Amino acid sequence: MSRKGCLGCSFPVLITIVVVVLAVGVVSLLSGALGKAIIGEVGLPELFTVDAPHVQLPAEVIFHIGGFAVTNTLLASWITIVILAFFAWAVTHRIKVIPSRLQNLLEFALEWLMNFCIDVAGEKNGRRFFPIITTIFLFVIMNSWLSLVPGFGSITYTVVEHGETHVLPLLRGANTDINFTLALALISFVFVEYLGIREGGLRYFTKFINVRQFGQGVGQLLRGKVKSGFGGIFMGVIDMFVGVLEGIGEMMRVVSFTFRLFGNMLGGEILILMMLFLMPFLLAVPFYGLEMLVGAIQALIFGGLTLVFATMAVTQHEHEAS
Amino acid sequence: MEGLGINLSTLIAQLVSFLVLFGLLYFFAYKPILRMFDERSQKIKDSVEQAEQVREQAAHAEEENRKQLEAASKEGQEAIARAMRAGDEARQRAEEEAKVQAGTLLDKARQEIQRERDEAIGELHQEFADLAIVAAEKVIEKSLDKEAHRALIDKVLEESGILKED
Repeated sequence: MSRKGCLGCSFPVLITIVVVVLAVGVVSLLSGALGKAIIGEVGLPELFTVDAPHVQLPAEVIFHIGGFAVTNTLLASWITIVILAFFAWAVTHRIKVIPSRLQNLLEFALEWLMNFCIDVAGEKNGRRFFPIITTIFLFVIMNSWLSLVPGFGSITYTVVEHGETHVLPLLRGANTDINFTLALALISFVFVEYLGIREGGLRYFTKFINVRQFGQGVGQLLRGKVKSGFGGIFMGVIDMFVGVLEGIGEMMRVVSFTFRLFGNMLGGEILILMMLFLMPFLLAVPFYGLEMLVGAIQALIFGGLTLVFATMAVTQHEHEAS
Repeated sequence: MEGLGINLSTLIAQLVSFLVLFGLLYFFAYKPILRMFDERSQKIKDSVEQAEQVREQAAHAEEENRKQLEAASKEGQEAIARAMRAGDEARQRAEEEAKVQAGTLLDKARQEIQRERDEAIGELHQEFADLAIVAAEKVIEKSLDKEAHRALIDKVLEESGILKED
């Protein structure tokens, strides 16, 4: 079949699309801050202009339950939980051996994550780590994709506080709240340390407080072997120092986990808001695609690093035991 | 810390949220889906094994069939050979019988011919004797007693017969 036209569209359709895109482009250029700076005010209706974003790091409190402050990020994370749980329930309350389309989707995602876990941690540990890794992954990716849903950030909520009225977004991506990323980082940390202790028992802590070599050195010195004694003490001091570094490194994982996710997600959000401000409609579109990718990658990084650390914590003792 | 917005109650709330999500997903997603994976792989394994079994059975049945067919064809060939041999024998026997029968028939025919010839010769003798008697009566004009006559002639004929036999 020979097709007339270009790019898979017939010419009238193509021309219409080009005209619409150009019109949107012109409007967005004229109404955005960028166009206003170059061309000047042309008097477009208020509707088209986008306010300059004002960056606020802490999440806004929407209301209080008793003494407990419910923030917009917490609300968003609850929505994510409801969506994920409902989706899972909708699929599995009538689960079939021959899957429906929805079941296929969930199975595909979980099987992919399961294979990822097994690839990294091996058959037995992969299956054991799978639930927590998958929960981290799904929570992060759904949070970030949810905040890309149109209208997500534009539902506002008016709070009157000390006589001032604040107009706040009702929802804000949970990934952009440091409390959320810190909570995830702590869970990842506790998970890894728990695995380490469960596998190695008290010996696990010798990784951080390593005095064996030092003790041997002292013993040899007392027995009169001065040279090897001092050598042992020297090596022992290095071992202790390495242990302390190891401990600090483990602690720093929490910080890096927290700020990696927080920074990426908040940065992405600000990026999109900036683009919307500079040139509404058109310029932000590629960045939406970029942010979807970033959300998926950050989720994979968070889950993957937790998986790798957990595997390290478990296999380290297998090596020592053998 | 204040500038970043870390506060304990929200942190705890997010921790709880994560644990709630973990629990919900564990019971609604991971457990049933993993069970389903295991069930499915078990099912696939079973059906593959079953298929293998069926294939084996089919091969077995085919082998059996082939053997039976072989046996049947061998039996058939044997039967044909036996029949041919029986046919040959029957033909030979029939030939021999026919020969024997023909021989006896020939003999009988010969004997019959012999007998008829003998009879004819005997009758001829009779006739000839009577003729001779009549002729002799005519010649000698003397009627011998018939009995004596006959004895005489027979004697002559006997002699001539012996002569002739030689």
